[in-house]
Amino acid sequence: MSIPADLKYTKDHEWVRIEGDTATLGLTDHAQEALGDIVFVELPDEGNTIEVGDAFAVVESVKAVSDVYAPIAGEVVGNNEALEETPEKVNEDPYGDGWIAKVKISGEDNSHLMDADAYSKLLEEE
Amino acid sequence: MSAASDSPLARTPLFDEHIRLKGKMVPFAGFDMPVQYPLGALKEYQAVRDGNAGIFDISHMGQVRIKGADALAFLQYLTTNDVSKLVDGQVQYAALLNEQGTFIDDITTYRISENEYYLCINAANRHKDVAHLKEHAVDFDVTVSDESDDTVLLALQGAESQKLLQKLTDTNLDNVGYYRFALIRLNGADAIVSRTGYTGEDGFEIYIHNSDATAIWQLLENSGAVPIGLAARDMLRSEMGYALYGHEINDRVTPVEARLMWITKLDKGNFIGKEAVVTRRTEGPRQRLVFLKLTARGIPREHYKVVADGKEIGEVTSGMHSPLAGCGVAIAYVEPEYAAEGDLAIEIRGKPVPAERTTSPFVRSNVRK
Repeated sequence: MSIPADLKYTKDHEWVRIEGDTATLGLTDHAQEALGDIVFVELPDEGNTIEVGDAFAVVESVKAVSDVYAPIAGEVVGNNEALEETPEKVNEDPYGDGWIAKVKISGEDNSHLMDADAYSKLLEEE
Repeated sequence: MSAASDSPLARTPLFDEHIRLKGKMVPFAGFDMPVQYPLGALKEYQAVRDGNAGIFDISHMGQVRIKGADALAFLQYLTTNDVSKLVDGQVQYAALLNEQGTFIDDITTYRISENEYYLCINAANRHKDVAHLKEHAVDFDVTVSDESDDTVLLALQGAESQKLLQKLTDTNLDNVGYYRFALIRLNGADAIVSRTGYTGEDGFEIYIHNSDATAIWQLLENSGAVPIGLAARDMLRSEMGYALYGHEINDRVTPVEARLMWITKLDKGNFIGKEAVVTRRTEGPRQRLVFLKLTARGIPREHYKVVADGKEIGEVTSGMHSPLAGCGVAIAYVEPEYAAEGDLAIEIRGKPVPAERTTSPFVRSNVRK
């Protein structure tokens, strides 16, 4: 189970890479494995404002539809359009080519985000 | 190998194999069944479609033997299709209807001889079907034996199927044509093997005794057959537009609604439900099954609404993203006025996604005719 040390995580199995005031986000390796083959991704529109916990994107596997919850608050400034043609990138490279969206961060309180160790412990307890 | 609704899940004789192969087990029709293996549903589906072969444990399904001097007359009365058209070694798709003309189940009927037939029935309907058959058997010189608990049913589907299965038998499988079967020895064990299936690819359904199952499963898997779970199985049959009980057929629709009049022979004599079907045909269906292809991005799923003229006019019964068709495909019931006319859309998360009518199968069938 891959849990890169330089990322932050949520209990809903999203990851966040914060670079200055921009965050890139996606689903963790655990999430993609639990979901199975992803066959469809509904990306958030650029310009959308999201709050922490908003269902702002959808991933669909063969058997199920799953909401993706915003791990961070802000404005969507980019989304990974490649996932429209190749949704399987979420499975194949969840932390790289499988990224879902980029957000210009608005909130300052990111205490709900956990580091890799804490996320790893969470997975052990599941 | 039977289950009641409040007991723990039943297991097929191949349960240990599914665990060994790291299948993800889920409840289905009272059984603990593999929904997929580590390969994943999509790659399992591709193994069957792309020229390889997949092996499915479908032992949860039921098998019933009908024997006696009145076997033919009994099945003519109980099933919708014309059983008198069968010769020894032939299979026929049919339905069991109730007096309202709606579905009790869809089945396949195998004629072993004039006085002996073998039925394959759905797992979810097994006890209901057997009770129904036994109830009516009192009026005929016939015995109804539920052999489900002693029978393992495997499906081997995909272009490589015959090559793999041939290694286990001296019977030349070229002689088992489409919707034909033979009683053969497979790995030395008694087996019924039919060239039938639920995937749209060339392949076989294999009926064997419980005690012979593991050896045959392992031989096929070791020679390259890919274990296939229920998720991929559902993808394969949906792409073919094949009905699944509880989705396209149920006790609220007749063959007129379900587009199954082709297995309903109104000229063969009386059968249970015939009068109701004739009436429904005259009155017109209350809803109509349609096959839809999405013309924009989206995956249609069971229960999603079909909309037209700003209102809900139907519901999806089965839907998926079809890798081969490259778009969403759906089987749906719509109000009869919309069966052939009107612009349709499927509502996905509140938004109408346009769909056009098409015919089944959604992708090319490769069954060997």
